[in-house]
Amino acid sequence: MTAFGKVSLRGNILQRGRSKERSRLLVFNHAVLLLLTAFAVLPLLILFFNSLKTKAEIGANPLGPPNQIIAENYINAWEQGNFATTMRNSVIYVVVTIAAELVLGGLAAYALARKKPPGSDLLMLYFLVASTIPLWMYIVPLYTQFRIWGLVGEVHGLIIIYIAGNAPLTIFLLRSYMIDLPRELEDAARVDGANELQVLTRIVLPLTKPGFLTVGLVVGLGVWNEFTLALTFIYDPSRAPVTTSFFKFTDRFARDWALTSAGAVIIIFPVMVLFLALQRQFIEGLAEGGIKT
Amino acid sequence: MATIPQKKIATGFLDRLTDETWRYKFTRNVLIPWLFILPLLSIHVFVVAIPAVQGIYMSLTDWSGVGRNVEFIGLANYQELLFEDETFGKSLTNNFIWMAFFLTVPFILALFCATLLSQIKRGGMAYRSMLFIPYVLASVVTTAIWRNLLSPRKGIGAAMANLTGIEGFDIAYLGRSETALLSIAFIDNWHFWGFLMILFLAAMQAIPPVLYDAAKIDGANRWQEFRHVTLPGIRPIFLFMFMMVAIWSFLAFDYIWLLTQGGPGGSSEVIATQLYKNAFLRFEGGYGAAQGVVISIFAGFIIMIFVTLRRRGWDI
Amino acid sequence: MKRLKICFGMLVLLLALSSVGAQDVTTVSMWFGESEYAQCITEVVNGFNDVNPALQIEIIPQADTWNTTRTAVAGGGGPDVVRSPGPSFVYEMAQQGLILPLDSFADEMGWRDTFVGWALDLGLVDGQLYSLADELETLVMYYNKTLFEANGWTPPDTMDELIALAEEMEAAGIVPFSHGNADWRPTNEWFVGEFMTQIAGPHNVYKALTGQIPWTDESMVEAMETLDMMQQRGWFGGGLDLYFTNTFDTNLSMLGNGEAAMNIEGTWRFNGIPDYFGEAGGNDNDWDWAPVPSKTGDDLFTIGMGNTSSINANTPHPQETATFLTWFFSAETQGAMLSNCGKGPAPIHLPEDAMVGLDSRVSRAYAALSEASADDRYGYTTWTFWPPKSDVYIYEEVERVWTGEITVMDYLEGLNELFAEELAAGDIPPIPSR
Repeated sequence: MTAFGKVSLRGNILQRGRSKERSRLLVFNHAVLLLLTAFAVLPLLILFFNSLKTKAEIGANPLGPPNQIIAENYINAWEQGNFATTMRNSVIYVVVTIAAELVLGGLAAYALARKKPPGSDLLMLYFLVASTIPLWMYIVPLYTQFRIWGLVGEVHGLIIIYIAGNAPLTIFLLRSYMIDLPRELEDAARVDGANELQVLTRIVLPLTKPGFLTVGLVVGLGVWNEFTLALTFIYDPSRAPVTTSFFKFTDRFARDWALTSAGAVIIIFPVMVLFLALQRQFIEGLAEGGIKT
Repeated sequence: MATIPQKKIATGFLDRLTDETWRYKFTRNVLIPWLFILPLLSIHVFVVAIPAVQGIYMSLTDWSGVGRNVEFIGLANYQELLFEDETFGKSLTNNFIWMAFFLTVPFILALFCATLLSQIKRGGMAYRSMLFIPYVLASVVTTAIWRNLLSPRKGIGAAMANLTGIEGFDIAYLGRSETALLSIAFIDNWHFWGFLMILFLAAMQAIPPVLYDAAKIDGANRWQEFRHVTLPGIRPIFLFMFMMVAIWSFLAFDYIWLLTQGGPGGSSEVIATQLYKNAFLRFEGGYGAAQGVVISIFAGFIIMIFVTLRRRGWDI
Repeated sequence: MKRLKICFGMLVLLLALSSVGAQDVTTVSMWFGESEYAQCITEVVNGFNDVNPALQIEIIPQADTWNTTRTAVAGGGGPDVVRSPGPSFVYEMAQQGLILPLDSFADEMGWRDTFVGWALDLGLVDGQLYSLADELETLVMYYNKTLFEANGWTPPDTMDELIALAEEMEAAGIVPFSHGNADWRPTNEWFVGEFMTQIAGPHNVYKALTGQIPWTDESMVEAMETLDMMQQRGWFGGGLDLYFTNTFDTNLSMLGNGEAAMNIEGTWRFNGIPDYFGEAGGNDNDWDWAPVPSKTGDDLFTIGMGNTSSINANTPHPQETATFLTWFFSAETQGAMLSNCGKGPAPIHLPEDAMVGLDSRVSRAYAALSEASADDRYGYTTWTFWPPKSDVYIYEEVERVWTGEITVMDYLEGLNELFAEELAAGDIPPIPSR
């Protein structure tokens, strides 16, 4: 089975490389993709430019490169934003949330996609309906509950909220990755005496690794960028996440865009690194999945 | 074949409990799956469902949004919202415009781009990273960047007029009643569509290459390949995201709040921004909660459509 | 037996230790939003902590302060000192029993002597004191002094002179006012409140706020028509659509580099404005301020409060919190925060030397404000004196006047109706009688 997959993958590449028509069309692909890439990246280049300007220069020259490079913006933003603390905290929030979400969501999605126990349709409906409720409607009752349970101001309290908030999307996404898997492999494993957990971890998980990585990425980003809940449920500065650093650059009405831009670059940087690292795994996961098909 | 299960049903409950095959099946197909679901479900119930039910109760009261002294007033909030509040219809219309935008523009863009990317072997990773970058930005940053870019004085429009002499693009997109809402949608989409594209791409990559090979052997052209292999391959995620985006359209809040707070003159007001203003600025928490319930009801209609389709055998 | 004795001895020791622990230190918390303040105020408060080892004050910098405070207090938590953006917010919390009445503390701790006459009245809810006003503020007209001198302009005294000057500026290709509300939608209300006071006059505003005349009064119509005229002519930021998209950064750089000549803003801007002039702003210009011109030519100053302080009903330490507030609102502390942090002072009796070392333009403003309030030349800011629904209406709906959807009269009628409702319900913040 493995050998067949490898051959097919290689054959595919060779065939594409040989075809003249295909390669001409790829020029079109690259042209369009380059254009869209510029659309996605140029605004960020401007953000980077702004992070090196004075406040006054951003007002007068918000698009172009800086007249004079103010690297101190980064030092000031790092200190004023207390990034040394908030970065560390956010890493904890992100890592724990992703881990818990993938384990718990993976279990639930597996059950819903592959086992479909009675009541699963109802459960899906529940998660769907729950994702239609605006946060502003229940944030005050939620706070009251959490205070009673002693979860306000606690790191694990906020993580619990993040896990719950991301649950519907996680379950649905993972489920959609699992639902079309061929059943034969699982059945074979069961015949060999594997229990459900083993079927999930040994058969389904490797096949849906890209799905898990994607969901982990989405959940992690959501947590990294979240601020409404963090501001409401965490007020000890030593537990504050990275987004709260953003608010350190505002006074009552206005925002210091020079420091904000530098702060934004600081916040984006680790995410970019993480994403690029994850990309590599992503590709490996895809290749692995392809071989096993 | 058909008579055997009938016999089993006829036997008593106790017999079933002692029936080892039945117990095995029950454990394997009901008990264990539900044990798998339970942890996440219970967290979710405590964090979302219970407070939300309290919120629904508040919508039937004159709750101010800060206090605990509430008086039950029945459906009065709903009556005011649906029959007396003139701004509600306008906000709802804006939600539908938002939905129309997000069900077309990002989907077409993401589908198109994911298809192009899936055919590329070299440099695909670089493109993917670059195109996804906007999604990693926090909303405060995204809105800040684009507010500058769309500025009529110093933004892209002004730069175009200065450099190329092309006039007409240097308008205050966010400051005009006619363009404000769509400009916000554009900005939100700049951030969002890359995410959709990655989801589609991951699904496309999971399509077994054999299927493409088979299509090629059958002499399929690119469009046919897309139509008969790619599209069915990504259908579950596509339809799911279609539904989620439709639901999210009723919840739209962040970008609008950060960019215009519903202005100018209410031209970009949506239900969620109204909810926020009522609950937290006007001290009409009960009324705001009623708006929240109405949001859920509208989103519920979307769900109903999809549930109906599912019943008809669509695999969503 | 011996063993028992040892056990008993240890128990006594343990009890003694734990009672020492219980008497330990009382911590009182206070949330501060404005970041640069928070840091500076922490330093000022450390002075208190150093001399009061048994009572420690924790200043927590909390972004989006009011939103988070509101949720926390409503949910039964929050800091010991509850700060809100204004009296109408205090009203809601007091009604719900979320904050404590302060009358006994005010008597006991001498607050009635600390604050100026009308200031404690601002914190009354149904005749009881619930909050202490902090951060006295007013609106002034900042102008680019260098630009004014170069063109031979002087700050106008009357509204007519202002309009004539703005026309002259317009002809010279200079935007009269560098205004914009993209960063803060409620900026709209600054102008509504200011024009009502400056054109309709503070006495008419007082009458309308106390229900003696309707908001549709001729004088109010005139005020709103003048404001609308300025918006329509593009004097605020260079055009109505620009007004809606200009950020404070844009506003202040326009003022700094002379693209615009004037800017009506709060005294809170004293902190930020120097960044946009001279070397820091990359130009050779200087700034100054003048009172916002009035119809009559009198120097009128609207009074506003940046914040209020109350005591959380949930606090286990009301007495200690009050002790801290006494220190916080003392002349020395307020003076230190004004000169060290640039925080607007509370409406207390400040000694003459509290302003020493301040930029003369800043001290001149606070002196003028206190003179005006003693002289019956004070007016009203919307966020301090209007009830919450009317206040939201004021800044939301005025945009529809400017975009031409509704007329000034429609606007004022709507305001009148809403205001009457809130007046009847008793939701009006206390208006000191004049």
